[in-house]
Amino acid sequence: MREDPVNRRRFTTGTMLFCLLSNLSVLAARAMPQVEGVTDIDPHKAFGSKNAPITMEIFSDFQCPACKTLFTSTNRQLMDNYVSTGKVYLIHRDFPLPMHAYSRIAARYARAAAQIGKYEPVEQVLFQNQEKWEQTGDVDGTVATVLSAAEMTKVRALVKGGTLDAGIDKDSALGQIYRVSQTPTTVFHSKGQTYPFAGVMTYDMLKQFLDQLLSQK
Amino acid sequence: MMQSSPLNARRAIIWIGRLVLGGIFVYAGFSKLLLPNAHLWPMFMLKFSVSMNIASFAQQVESYKIISPEASQLVAHALPFVEIVLGLLLLIGWRLRIWATAITVIMAGFLAAVTRAYLLHMDINCGCFGVPEKLTGMTVVRDSAFTALALLMTVFAFREAREPHPWSAPEKV
Repeated sequence: MREDPVNRRRFTTGTMLFCLLSNLSVLAARAMPQVEGVTDIDPHKAFGSKNAPITMEIFSDFQCPACKTLFTSTNRQLMDNYVSTGKVYLIHRDFPLPMHAYSRIAARYARAAAQIGKYEPVEQVLFQNQEKWEQTGDVDGTVATVLSAAEMTKVRALVKGGTLDAGIDKDSALGQIYRVSQTPTTVFHSKGQTYPFAGVMTYDMLKQFLDQLLSQK
Repeated sequence: MMQSSPLNARRAIIWIGRLVLGGIFVYAGFSKLLLPNAHLWPMFMLKFSVSMNIASFAQQVESYKIISPEASQLVAHALPFVEIVLGLLLLIGWRLRIWATAITVIMAGFLAAVTRAYLLHMDINCGCFGVPEKLTGMTVVRDSAFTALALLMTVFAFREAREPHPWSAPEKV
């Protein structure tokens, strides 16, 4: 019986397509950081080693005074002593509260800055100048003080593009799953367990807690 | 001859005051220590939960801008325990006049603070119980009602102490 060339071509094309799609999905999975129990990680807003024994997700609002307190009292030492040393994988999540008029705008600018690798300086300037820009709404001017003209152009384009809200909404939805009702809320993941904590903590408190978690067998 | 019955309006108000205010004070104290973070086990989880809850309460006290940050820390560490003890003493009814007076003074202080914050249009949390609760006009109304109940309970407790129970044995001559 003679072979049907049309069917053979269809079979070959289908097989090649299947292999291509499989490889693409594997590559896509590898591109997203995978941490046990944690989903939808934006690599631009995550710091440290994803193999760290503890993962910290911080849900915060740039216009929230308590979030500013948490940032100013813990961030630098946390990054130096735990994130850089591979003990903690830190993920920043946006949870803009409805009563803060400019928090979503601030979150957009921070996300845009994250995409060009400038998340940390923008986060710092937003929190440090919170009292000023929450009165005037001038988030753009505040961010512009720490970015170059070229960087600001890229950030503004990203903010105007309207694609950043999807990420903010994903973070907010994740916060609903964790039952986040106030900011800041820090969710600790360690050894398969999840511990959400609402409120501000001093660095000493955080250090004691992290050390205890690390010493658990 | 008219005699006051064992159960009259004064004694009813004293009972209601003891139950309501005693219960609320105990709940307020425990909620400040155990809410919103209530990880109870293992022990270091409980310690961290309580520390964070007290830290949040200290922030809420400080947000009233009446006392210094250091004094806010002191109040935050002491007040929950004071509330629990006073509430229990009120429920038990031991030395009622003393603890009813103390609770009335504390409630008057709370009422003054929330009224001031409300009149100044301060956008803050009440800090009354562990969970975040916006300070509104209803907070002032609620605290006014509790303060009035505390005051009535205290006044009636003093009056009851001056008048002997109608069924008590007469004094020997």
